[in-house]
Amino acid sequence: MENVFTRPIRNFLNEAGEISMFSWRFLKEGFKPPYEYGELLRQSFEIGYRSIPLVAFTAFIMGLVITIQSHPALEVFGAESWLPSIVSESLVREITPVITALICAGKVGSSIGAEIGSMKVTEQIDAMEVSGTNPFKFLVATRVLSTTLMLPLLVIFGDVVALYGGYLGVNMKGVTSMHLFWTQVFNKLTFGDVFPSVIKSVFFGFVIGIIGSYKGYTTTNGTEGVGRSANAAVVISSFVIFIVDLLAAQIADLLHLT
Amino acid sequence: MNTGSSNTNSPVIIIKDVSKSFGENHVLTGFNLTVNKGENVVVLGRSGTGKSVLIKCIVRLVDADRGSIQVLGTDIPSLKRDALDAMRSKIGFLFQSSALYDSMTVGENLEFPLRRHRKKNMHYDVNKLVSDALESVGLNGTQKMSPAELSGGMRKRIGIARTLILNPEVMLYDEPTTGLDPVTAREINHLILDVQEKFNTSSIIISHDMNCARMTANRIVVLIGGKCYAEGTYAELKQSQDKNVKQFFD
Repeated sequence: MENVFTRPIRNFLNEAGEISMFSWRFLKEGFKPPYEYGELLRQSFEIGYRSIPLVAFTAFIMGLVITIQSHPALEVFGAESWLPSIVSESLVREITPVITALICAGKVGSSIGAEIGSMKVTEQIDAMEVSGTNPFKFLVATRVLSTTLMLPLLVIFGDVVALYGGYLGVNMKGVTSMHLFWTQVFNKLTFGDVFPSVIKSVFFGFVIGIIGSYKGYTTTNGTEGVGRSANAAVVISSFVIFIVDLLAAQIADLLHLT
Repeated sequence: MNTGSSNTNSPVIIIKDVSKSFGENHVLTGFNLTVNKGENVVVLGRSGTGKSVLIKCIVRLVDADRGSIQVLGTDIPSLKRDALDAMRSKIGFLFQSSALYDSMTVGENLEFPLRRHRKKNMHYDVNKLVSDALESVGLNGTQKMSPAELSGGMRKRIGIARTLILNPEVMLYDEPTTGLDPVTAREINHLILDVQEKFNTSSIIISHDMNCARMTANRIVVLIGGKCYAEGTYAELKQSQDKNVKQFFD
């Protein structure tokens, strides 16, 4: 009976400990030469460039929907003119970073978990090791760095597309010029809105890369294990993204960046 | 039977009293083996007796719990990362699954170890070395193919070519004929003999395929209970009356 309650807690703590050790290994080995520039560029292209269409589509829909749904509430108070500033603040501060991170956790995290996992079970990682290459640096460090660097860029890109969606949403119920819309947006948005959003995106990217790589690198039980790793990479990184978001909101509040 | 000569005075691999356990499972319990220059030694044993663990200990994919392993006069367990990587470039390792990198073409698979080990002296033609290595396994022209397009036998050949590109002095084959049809298995056995002859390599071949043992071995070691249970040529062991040895030949 005791095991039913204690085992999940022990497993959770074990997993958390192992992910922490894995992250520490990344910090220790990831920045030491020799650097894998070629692989880093390739991964940045795969993770960043190839995610652009999905991020753009999602961000555009989000911007449009949030604007359309916010309009009636503001109309009641005769505050429709506030729509660009209110929508831009919620998009830039919260919605675009979190949704982009969740999309990337699904697309990139699962792909990292599955790719490294299948390399693990087919001895490709061992082959890399015996050929004199450090597989941790070549496979893990490059992917974690790529997700950490690419996610903030994807979020900034997503912000722009989401705001454009917002502009179309505003114009569905009235006429606002592009110039007026963007003026209202930039009058409202401050450094305190954009900076925390970019910084937390860096951590979201790190979380996606490190958890995807960890799950892939510790895959066991053949092809069945590969599927399980890909799935766990998405579930755990999505969960941790929300935790990081909560912490980021608290820290921003403490630093008076809200 | 392999009648290729070996220099018995020149040991290349010396394994002394090596033990390895995984929890309560004691896989190797004081294993000893010496492989001489130019010699092919086949390690025979049933599944799960620690044959693959043994060769993984030699390249430190698995760390032995106890004992000493010397390759080309160097004590492997005491090597630091850089020295170990340099030593690994002298050891070719053919994995049971061939372990070709799926995300790379055949040509890139062969270039990968080459670029890692010879970065500082890029005064050679990579394409020529790749095509020479592929030629030596009879598969020149497959550079642009992806591993998914290859048959099991071709994958094994490419795996061997990938190790040959660095001119290794020692070859470790992990179940080279497992999962292949008899004709392809025979071709792989001939290839192992060709590699021994052309490159003068010293090899450990892990197998439970008696045809492979018969064709490729200068000497056979039977691994039972984590130890070297019996040792001799194919003909000698075939005459053995020991029931544990006989079971492999019946």
